[in-house]
Amino acid sequence: MSGSEKPQERAKSKKKVNLNRVPMPKQEPEERIHNFNEVARGYTFEMAVEEARRCLNCKKRNCERGCPVSIDIPEFIAAIQKGDLEVAASVLKRKTSLPGICGRVCPQEVQCEKACTLSKKKAPVAIGRLERYVADWERLHNMTTIPERGAPTGKRVAVVGSGPAGLTVAADLAILGHEVTMFEALHVAGGVLAYGIPEFRLPKEIVQQEVEYVKNLGVELLPDTVIGINFSIDELLNTRYDALFLGTGAGLPMFLGVPGEDLNMVYSANEFLTRTNLMKAYLYPEYATPIKMGRKVTVIGGGNVAMDAARCAVRLGADSVTVVYRRSRQEMPARLEEIENAEEEGIVFFFLATPIAMLSDGRANVAALECIRMALTEPDESGRRRPVPIEGSEFIIETDTVIVSLGTSPNPLIASTTPDLKTSRWGTVVVDEKGRTSKARVWAGGDIISGGATVISAMGEARRAASAMHEYLTSGSKKIIPPSA
Amino acid sequence: MFPIIAKEELGPSVFRLRVRAPLIAAKAQPGQFLIVVLDEKGERVPFTLSDWDAEGGTVDFVFLVVGPTTEKMARLQVGDTIAHCVGPLGRPSHVDTFGHVVCLVSGYGIAAMVPVLRALKGKDNQITTIVQAPDKKRLFGLEALKEWSDKVLVATSDNGNGKGPLASDQLRHLLAEHPNQPIHRVVAMCSLCLMWVVTELTRPLRIPTFLHMTPIMVDGTGMCGACRLQVEGTNRFACVHGPEFDGHKIGSWDVLLARRCSYADENVLQQSYSCRTCSQW
Repeated sequence: MSGSEKPQERAKSKKKVNLNRVPMPKQEPEERIHNFNEVARGYTFEMAVEEARRCLNCKKRNCERGCPVSIDIPEFIAAIQKGDLEVAASVLKRKTSLPGICGRVCPQEVQCEKACTLSKKKAPVAIGRLERYVADWERLHNMTTIPERGAPTGKRVAVVGSGPAGLTVAADLAILGHEVTMFEALHVAGGVLAYGIPEFRLPKEIVQQEVEYVKNLGVELLPDTVIGINFSIDELLNTRYDALFLGTGAGLPMFLGVPGEDLNMVYSANEFLTRTNLMKAYLYPEYATPIKMGRKVTVIGGGNVAMDAARCAVRLGADSVTVVYRRSRQEMPARLEEIENAEEEGIVFFFLATPIAMLSDGRANVAALECIRMALTEPDESGRRRPVPIEGSEFIIETDTVIVSLGTSPNPLIASTTPDLKTSRWGTVVVDEKGRTSKARVWAGGDIISGGATVISAMGEARRAASAMHEYLTSGSKKIIPPSA
Repeated sequence: MFPIIAKEELGPSVFRLRVRAPLIAAKAQPGQFLIVVLDEKGERVPFTLSDWDAEGGTVDFVFLVVGPTTEKMARLQVGDTIAHCVGPLGRPSHVDTFGHVVCLVSGYGIAAMVPVLRALKGKDNQITTIVQAPDKKRLFGLEALKEWSDKVLVATSDNGNGKGPLASDQLRHLLAEHPNQPIHRVVAMCSLCLMWVVTELTRPLRIPTFLHMTPIMVDGTGMCGACRLQVEGTNRFACVHGPEFDGHKIGSWDVLLARRCSYADENVLQQSYSCRTCSQW
C-alpha cells in the first residue's frame, strides 16, 4: 500500500529542501522561570507540515533503524505532508503506545534524528517534534482510537511497575489478546514519568492520558500495591498469572557518601523531584505536600535528572542555582537541549569539581559545600576521560540547599524477596537477549536491567520482552522455560 | 478507595481509624506501617499499624491531630473513604524470647506499640511498659498496654503534685536495679528526644535497645531518601531498612532531631502532645 504511494511522494519532494528545521516555539526564559508550564509549546499545523516536507522520504530509512521501537518514521511523516493526521497517528500507534511522551523526552538527537539523511547536510528532520505534534493533535481532538485487540488467549500476565517499560509491555500484550494486570506501588501510575520528569518538560496530564489509553486497551491497573510486599513474585505466578514482567525501574537514590550529607536541606534528586512533580509541592497548599528550599541551591551531578532538579529549583523561586559536575560540559550525560535550557534559565555551571564534605550552619542545616577541583585523564579504554582530584585545590561553595543527583540503583525489594532471581553486583536484574530473567516465566526491562537509561530504551527493552512473552504464552504447550544460565 | 469502618476518639485530638484494606491486613506484622493519602491532592503520611484483622480485611491506626492533613483526617466519619492506603511497609519488629523487656511509649506510640507488646507476650517475655504523656487527660490507651504488659508505669506531669516523673526517670529506677533485676531488651516507640535519652541511658549497660524511628517520609518505599539516617556510619532508610533500628548504632542525633522538625513550621498547627523536654511530639 505504501509502496504505491512512494514514487509520487518522492516526486513531490524534489523541490529544494530547507536545510534548517522549523524552530520549536518556546516560552521565553524570563517568562518560564516563573511557571511550571511546558517550555516547548509545540508546532502548529502549518509548522508541522512545513517541517514534514523536509523529509526526503529516502530509501534508506535509517531513521527507523535508529528508533529503539522501530517506528515507521517515513510513513508517519508522509502522512503529515499530506495533512492526514489520522493516518499519521495510526502509524505511530502501531509501534508506540506512548507517542506524546516519546515525542517529548526521547533523545532523538542520538537516535532517529542522528540517523536522518539530512543530518549529513545540516539539520535532520525534527522527528521528535513531529511525533509530539501528531500525538497532541490526536489527544486534543479526541481522536484517540483503540486498536483492535487480538482474540482472547486466556493467558494472564502480571506487569510490575507502570513506568515506560511496564506501560509498553502491558499495551503490547493486551493488544495481542492477553489479560494484563499492571501493579504500581505509588498512588499514581507512570513511574518516573510521574514522579521524576517535571511538568514543564512532560505535562502530567499527557502522562495520565497515555496511561488511560493503556487502560482502555483492557489493562487492569492496581495502584498502591507493592510487589515483594503485598504479593511475592511466586505468589503471583502460582496463583493467577502465566507470565510476569518486571519493570520496577531504578528508584533507589545514590548519595556521595561524604561527611555532612545527612544534614538538613540536603535532598536526593528523587525526593526533590517527587515532592515537586508527583506531589505537586509547587501548588502547595492546594496540594498538601510542602517543599522546603533555601535561596542558594546547589545541584550535584550532570545528568538529565540534575538538569530537571536545577530547573525545578529555579521555578520554585531560588535566587541562584549552581550545578556542580566533576567532568566538563562536553562529558555531561544530560541532553544538550536540556543543558541549553538550563543555561538560558540562569543556572550556573561549575565544572571539574566535586564535593568532599558538606558543612553545617551549627543548627544541622547545610551551609556550604567543601569541594575539590578535578582534572580529566586521557581517555581510557571506554573512551571516557576519568576525573581525578587535584590535591590542595579545595574550595568552598556557600549554599543553603543541596540536591544530590548522582543516579539511582534498582530498589532491592524484589530481588531480596525473590531468591532465585539473578542480579548483578549493581543490583540490576540479569536478562538474556530476549529480556528473560534467570527465573522461569519472568521477564524484565527498563532501568531494573540497565541501572538507569532513557524512557525510550526502557520501551525498546519492554517491546523485546513483550514479544518473547507472547511467543512463550502462545507456544501451545505450557512448558516451563528452563532458567537461562 | 479505602472505606472507614470505625472511628474512635481516644483522647483530646487523638483518634483511631479502622480502614478496610485487605491487602495490607493480609500481610501485616508488628511494627510495620502504612502510608495514607487522603485524597488526590493529599500528602503521603506514614502511620504505624496499631492493629489489624487479616480475616476481616481491616487495619487500625492511631493519629494525633498535629497539622492540616491530620486535622482533615479527624473530620472523616465512618462510611467516608480514604483515596490511597499502601502497606504494610518497613520491616517487622524483631520479636523473640528475650526475658525481661522494657518498653517505652509516648504519643502515637502508645497505640502503635500494642501489636509489638502482644507479639513479645506471645513469646513469653516479661514486659514492663513505661508510658509518658503530658498529663492524665491526654493519656490514652492504658487498658491495652496493661493487657499485654506485666507492669505499666505511668509518667505524667500531674502524678499527684504536678511534678510527676519523666519516662526517663522511670527507666533510671529500673536500670538502677539492673542486673539484679535484669533487663534484657529495651524497645521504644516515643518522641525522638526521649529515644535519644533512652539510648544514652542503656548504652553504658549494654542493654540491647531498639527504637522505632519516625523520620519524615515521602514515598515510604525506598525511593526518595528523605527518611535516611546514619546507622554505623552508613546511610539507612527508615522506610525499607527500618523503622526499627539498634539505637546504639544510630549516629547524628542532632541532625535527626532537626530533620524531624524541618517541616514543623509549615505543617504543624499545635503541639499539645509535644514531648515535655523538647518541642517534639
